Amino acid sequence: MNTYRATYLIGVCLLLIGMFTSCKHDEHEYHSITDKIKAESENYKGTTLSSEAHIGDLKTIEITEGDETFFIPERESHIKSFKCTECHTKPVSEMSSDDFKKAHWNIKLDHANSKTMNCVTCHNGNDMDHLKSLTGEQIRFNKSHQMCAQCHSRQFEDWKGGAHGKRIAGWAPPRVSNTCVNCHDPHAPHFESRWPARYNPIKEKQRE
Amino acid sequence: MVTIILGMSSNKKWFSLNLNSKKAESEDTCGCGKTSGGCGSHKPAIGEEAKKDGFDQVFDVKMDRRTAFKQLTASLAIGAGAISTSCSVISGDETKEKAQIDWEEQFKGNYKLMTNEEKNGTVERLVRSYQLRTGKTISMSSKNAEKDVLFGYAFNISKCQGYMDCVSACVEENNQDRNSQMEYIRIHEMKDGKGFNFNEADDNYYHEVPAEGHFYMGTQCFHCDNPPCIEVCPVQATWREDDGLVVVDYDWCVGCRYCMAACPYDGRRFNWSKPEVPEEEVNKNQHYLGNRLRKNGVVEKCTFCVQRSRAGKNPACVEACPTGARIFGNLLDPDSTIRWVLENKKVFRLKEDLGTEPKFWYFMD
Repeated sequence: MNTYRATYLIGVCLLLIGMFTSCKHDEHEYHSITDKIKAESENYKGTTLSSEAHIGDLKTIEITEGDETFFIPERESHIKSFKCTECHTKPVSEMSSDDFKKAHWNIKLDHANSKTMNCVTCHNGNDMDHLKSLTGEQIRFNKSHQMCAQCHSRQFEDWKGGAHGKRIAGWAPPRVSNTCVNCHDPHAPHFESRWPARYNPIKEKQRE
Repeated sequence: MVTIILGMSSNKKWFSLNLNSKKAESEDTCGCGKTSGGCGSHKPAIGEEAKKDGFDQVFDVKMDRRTAFKQLTASLAIGAGAISTSCSVISGDETKEKAQIDWEEQFKGNYKLMTNEEKNGTVERLVRSYQLRTGKTISMSSKNAEKDVLFGYAFNISKCQGYMDCVSACVEENNQDRNSQMEYIRIHEMKDGKGFNFNEADDNYYHEVPAEGHFYMGTQCFHCDNPPCIEVCPVQATWREDDGLVVVDYDWCVGCRYCMAACPYDGRRFNWSKPEVPEEEVNKNQHYLGNRLRKNGVVEKCTFCVQRSRAGKNPACVEACPTGARIFGNLLDPDSTIRWVLENKKVFRLKEDLGTEPKFWYFMD
């Protein structure tokens, strides 16, 4: 009987020891990196690092979309012939005659098809200095992402969160992200195919 | 096995020769062994085995006889060089200074164990040594990991077009050997519908991209949170820093390449020859653990551009990518973009079942 009891006791002891040592009890030990990130970021109060210095001369504007507030490059000063009304003194219909200088011959619309999009889907012939939403509301060129978001809502969600669109300056706050038109030409938004930046003939040789 | 044990010591982790120091005057013997004449009156600190230093770290380890002899010969060669130049009346101050630097560098400790002062010291010596050799000034940092920072990376497979701008930027930023065309990043061109089949993928394509019916996926060091590479290093020349970067002390690496065998992701590269970078292409903004110039026979790898990331900047690959497929940031910051990706996109990592916990996630639009 005594040996049974002793074995039983030892068994229970071992079980208890096992329970207390096998699982994490050291607070720096986590089952996975996800647990660790969750636990260690609970009391996150920010770092001393900042992207401010890396923004340089870039002019930015602060935008708030949904829950996200961040910076995007300022646009209007980068449009070569802004303000548009410097040339567009009259409504487009009156300016399309042969009496006026031809302009914008380099722009060929390659964005969706002609049933969906033409110039006036985004531009307003009566208010050339601003864009126009589908419902006719005014959108500033600086906030052209609101224009794109009307159709590309999925990309817009990703962009707000940071999964779409290139982050510039640095990883540290404040966040500066490229806006749609910094990467996509609004008149032809796809990326062109091209040759890779480099080729490594030595790698090829080493593997032979 | 031969164990060489030299004396224990307390403050510094290496000996100072003080070859040019005017302060260290003494009437004792000179470093060259003579008791009088010829070699001036400064006393080298060699022989002060009572101090704890790099000697202990270099020699107070179990090593086989061949390694021991090798270490001794190398050290003696440098020592003899240092002493002969210090005693020589014809060699200039610069040569002496160089010898002094070589001596201190030979016997410095493992970077991981250094105090901040010692880190500054070695960085200063390396900068001065580069200046003496090339006449050019570089800046080198020994900035430690920032508190409350854990670096993480996300890669958007749907966005990558295979342009390889990241690879070029990485090579230029990190002073990788131009002769062997070393590259940390590999971009794998994979056939649609075949999954992540690395055996059939091509990571050295040269045709117009993106190629029809293919997608692109980049690999590099994933800075695992549980890195198998650091476990196998026999000299602890590679370790995980507090901000999650897995780094290499190029001066401590013995070139055994165990870490390369242990890495399941092909993340490490070896210098089979002396790495060469044309002087005008050398990136002079350097970090001790990052892009400083390497030597023959050491392992190196992606450090998430430690010289940039610890300054708040994005790594060079992130900055170079024209598609925004690369996302980098602080995993501990709940408002960071990397956290948004991890929480809102369907992410996965390579060989997750190994338990290496890479801090490099892939996702799709």
